[in-house]
Amino acid sequence: MTDTATPSRSLFSTGVVDINELLGSMRFAVSLLIFICVASLMGTVLVQNRSSSQYIDQFGPFWFELFDKFSIWHVYNSWWFLLIMAFLVMSTSLCLVRNTPKMWRDMRSFREHVRASSLRAFTHRYTGETAADCETTVAAVHQMLAVQGFAVREKRDASGILLAAKKGSVNRLGYIFAHAAIVIICMGGLLDSELPVRLQVWLFDKQPIQENMLIAQVPDNGRLSVSNPSFRSSVLIAEGSRATAAVIMVNDGALVQPLPFTLELKKFIVDYYSTGMPSRFVSEVTVTDPDDGKHFDATIEVNQPLRFKGVTVYQSSFDDGGSRVDLLAYPLIGHSVATTPVNSQVGEEQSLPSVAARLIVTAVRPINVEDFSSGLSQTPPLNFGEHVAAVTGSAAGKHNDNLRNVGPAIEYRLLDSAGQAHEFKNYMQSVLLEGRLVMLAGARAHPNEPYRYLRIPIDEQYTVSEFMQLRAALDDPAARLQAAQRFAARSRPDGSDRAALERATARALDTFAQAGLQGIAQFLQTHTPPDQLAHAADIVVRLIGASIDELRAVARARASLPALAQDDAARAEAADWSRLAIAALSDLKLYPAPVFLTLENFDHVPASIFQVTRTPGKNIVYLGCLLLVTGVFSMFYIRDHRVWVWVRARSEGGAAVQAAMTSQKRTLDFNREFERFTAALRQQLGS
Amino acid sequence: MSISTAHTLSFYAQWLGVSETGDSRAVRGRPDWTDLLFFFLLAIGAGAALYRYPQIMDGYEKIILMGTVLLCAWLGWLWRPLRPLMAACALSAGLAIGLYQGDLARTDQVFLLKYLLSSQSAILWMCMSFLIAMVCYWGGLISPTAAWLGTVLTWGAVWAGVTGLLVRWREGHLMGPDLGHIPVSNLYEVFVLFVVVTALFYLYYERRYGTRALGGFVLLTISSAVIFLLWYAFTRDAAQIQPLVPALKSWWMKLHVPANFIGYGTFSLAAMVGFAYLVKAHGQTRGWWKLTPLFVLGVLLCAEPMVFRTEGLSTTWMMYLGIGAALVGFILLARRPIAAALPALEVLDDIMYRAIAVGFAFFTVATILGALWAADAWGAYWQWDPKETWALIVWLNYAAWLHMRLIKGLRGAMAAYWVLVGLLITGFAFLGVNMFLSGLHSYGEL
Repeated sequence: MTDTATPSRSLFSTGVVDINELLGSMRFAVSLLIFICVASLMGTVLVQNRSSSQYIDQFGPFWFELFDKFSIWHVYNSWWFLLIMAFLVMSTSLCLVRNTPKMWRDMRSFREHVRASSLRAFTHRYTGETAADCETTVAAVHQMLAVQGFAVREKRDASGILLAAKKGSVNRLGYIFAHAAIVIICMGGLLDSELPVRLQVWLFDKQPIQENMLIAQVPDNGRLSVSNPSFRSSVLIAEGSRATAAVIMVNDGALVQPLPFTLELKKFIVDYYSTGMPSRFVSEVTVTDPDDGKHFDATIEVNQPLRFKGVTVYQSSFDDGGSRVDLLAYPLIGHSVATTPVNSQVGEEQSLPSVAARLIVTAVRPINVEDFSSGLSQTPPLNFGEHVAAVTGSAAGKHNDNLRNVGPAIEYRLLDSAGQAHEFKNYMQSVLLEGRLVMLAGARAHPNEPYRYLRIPIDEQYTVSEFMQLRAALDDPAARLQAAQRFAARSRPDGSDRAALERATARALDTFAQAGLQGIAQFLQTHTPPDQLAHAADIVVRLIGASIDELRAVARARASLPALAQDDAARAEAADWSRLAIAALSDLKLYPAPVFLTLENFDHVPASIFQVTRTPGKNIVYLGCLLLVTGVFSMFYIRDHRVWVWVRARSEGGAAVQAAMTSQKRTLDFNREFERFTAALRQQLGS
Repeated sequence: MSISTAHTLSFYAQWLGVSETGDSRAVRGRPDWTDLLFFFLLAIGAGAALYRYPQIMDGYEKIILMGTVLLCAWLGWLWRPLRPLMAACALSAGLAIGLYQGDLARTDQVFLLKYLLSSQSAILWMCMSFLIAMVCYWGGLISPTAAWLGTVLTWGAVWAGVTGLLVRWREGHLMGPDLGHIPVSNLYEVFVLFVVVTALFYLYYERRYGTRALGGFVLLTISSAVIFLLWYAFTRDAAQIQPLVPALKSWWMKLHVPANFIGYGTFSLAAMVGFAYLVKAHGQTRGWWKLTPLFVLGVLLCAEPMVFRTEGLSTTWMMYLGIGAALVGFILLARRPIAAALPALEVLDDIMYRAIAVGFAFFTVATILGALWAADAWGAYWQWDPKETWALIVWLNYAAWLHMRLIKGLRGAMAAYWVLVGLLITGFAFLGVNMFLSGLHSYGEL
């Protein structure tokens, strides 16, 4: 009976011992470290926490399914990563539990039981003798050790006197501190991770909200408790409004986290450097405590969070809080010049009935600092000397002069009836480019592309109005014909060939109106022999230039504007204007919208995005960090040494001295330390 | 007692020409009157700064300034040559600041500023000196004078680099009232810091172990960083001082970045000593296949800065890779004389361990400081940002190395190879993360 019982129990207990052994083993711990390295690496290479659809796009449905099992989209919160961390904590704890008592004892012990006969076991040992008697020698050596910073204990027995000395044994505490720190940091980190919120979702059956909803309408199972001990949430507050709750993203949904106070954003300020870069983002807030109704003002800024009632509020980003904008819509098709006022708000979608498109104003930016150096100055290649000269001297910025604030701008998106979206960016004021004031109108098909800008010449009132009248006239066959007639009459005052010239001009204008300069070029290529192409192009360009001048006069007359002056300066000015207008009219053919919106007025309402957190583990982690630093430094820089000196009276007089020295880390330093010790000992003994 | 000291001294003289303190003292002993004087000079300097510019610094920065006084005094006691270095840098930077007279335009008018002391000129001098110093150190295989010249040039380069950084700091303030900041805020600035720190640690070990044979190896990393620095300044205009983004405007930067670069510097020093170790260990090896892993690792390390190339492989970088591969090949070909010149394997092993211990300790501090800063700036002390995660990877890697060495007694070629691979990882954490992985450390926006 006993024979059969014993093996089975021992099998079980060996199993436990084996697992215990494995968890506590160095090899296991080091493999865990390497494993965590690899897992963390994966998390940095694959962008984390994006939406599932993006990952499906990237990997395809099959691989998505497979990878999803291992939640590699949020590696650091996945079950297996937490499991490895748990193993690390267990392994470290085991190591601590096993070694701490041993180390503690060892640290306090002088190991005075070591016998002189075991001297041979030491690699660093010394044997000598002295003429002085036993007691004198012991006193001298004791003194020497004490001077060198050793704690000494004396032990006397029949065989002689032993001086057991140690210094730097506290470095064992370093080991204990550093390893305890790992456990403490992991524990603290766990408290501040997503785990507490996920636990609440699971325990209290919370339902993250998937659709858009007002915070007030969120049902109870979409809300967490105000006393939630650990969370990381964010909240957007527009200037002038207040918030009592923040939002926590869980999986693909959101939970509402009520705050223990009301946060009102009074003002959001962006300060700028002289170079135009933002230097400070500051939120001026009022905090109201609902418990006693008291309130106080505070400023929250990057690197200077607000801490109140166990909650910390950080400036994390900023956005638009629903600025009101007054726009003016200029039609870009047809011969109407009638503008429509449009009132909108950032973030709101509305229809533009006149053109069957939907408008979403995405942003109003009151300050726009643009770099005008790119493209304008192509630096010629430098030789080596110039290259070196270019980077010597002071490191002050050289191209900051090209940065200019060009005032407010509006960004909007237009969705046409087919659902095609384009993005636009228009500046409120004209910009001086190559010596001319122009209105910049940017457009792009995709958010990742840069804007391509139309340069629209402005009129006396600094608006695009006259250009728009010209555009409408160009789209009106009657106006084009009138311009052709005026041009023919002016060029041929005597009347000869006037009809032919008129026809040619009208045709050129028609082509230009339909397809821009691109259309003219195509027309020329198909209708002109190659050898005459350059000549013909030159003529047509001049023809267009002159007839656009006439068209402008027609348009001005229609808009009841006075005719342009005819002196030289005014003519040069008009020619410049026409050149810009022709380029803009031609580019309009590629402009992806039937309407052009100018920003007339706006009421900018910025919003601050705050991160609101409660982190119960923070101080625990900081304590762990302190322990870690203390531990690491004392392990490396407190050197432990132990010395044993046996002194025995010799029968022939004097004393025999044997000594040994040891350390945990027998580095080259230790060798030197030993040499120094023996030298000093020899000195003491006078041998 | 005096006899004892004399005895000890004579003993040290026998011991490999080693100096325990890294200078002419046998033991550091208590601080003497020169330390006290040095401390007072530093304190006067700090006091003057506090008196003249009280409004520029906040309370924490004033504490950091006072802490710096203590730290510099302590460092001067720890290693004496730092004192003349600090004095020389203070004098040259002071001279430059005086010559500027508060006007940046004088950089083109004053001869000394234009050709020596303005930040960019000083940094170019540093680059030149390092490159020549490397050649000298390798020349040291033949002539000890060349190696001596290498040491002199390296000291000169460190002086120029520190002066350049100090003057750059001032230039930032001259650009505009709110623009100035400590020059450790972008890749260009920290590269200068990196080469200076690495060189200083090397100079310490050179003196401590009484050997110049490692200079060529350590200067390889430094030169590679210098070439990157030059490329970065010439083609990317990286040398210009840029104002700080709001997230970086914090006194934490003054602590976090230097601590980090002590880590990076010593890790790369350790890797180069590991390389030397392997060359020495293979001193008598005949079979080329045994040298292949070493060659491959060497070339890989050379190639690492190339991750910064933007489009294709430009000729510059092909040339750089070619020269790098040729250098590694040359070192391996000449392994026998190099091995003979290098100190004993135990010494190399010891330097490697020491450098990693210093690096690990400071990297721990730097990562923790980073976490504390992140808690203020981003609202979370740890959020698995790529840079943070890579710092953890580097830390874990060296933690594993130290465990294997201290507990399992890992020594020799295996440890050296591991340290070389460690530099690849560290290099990626330093450069690659900024290049390939987007994250909070890219400082694009708020």
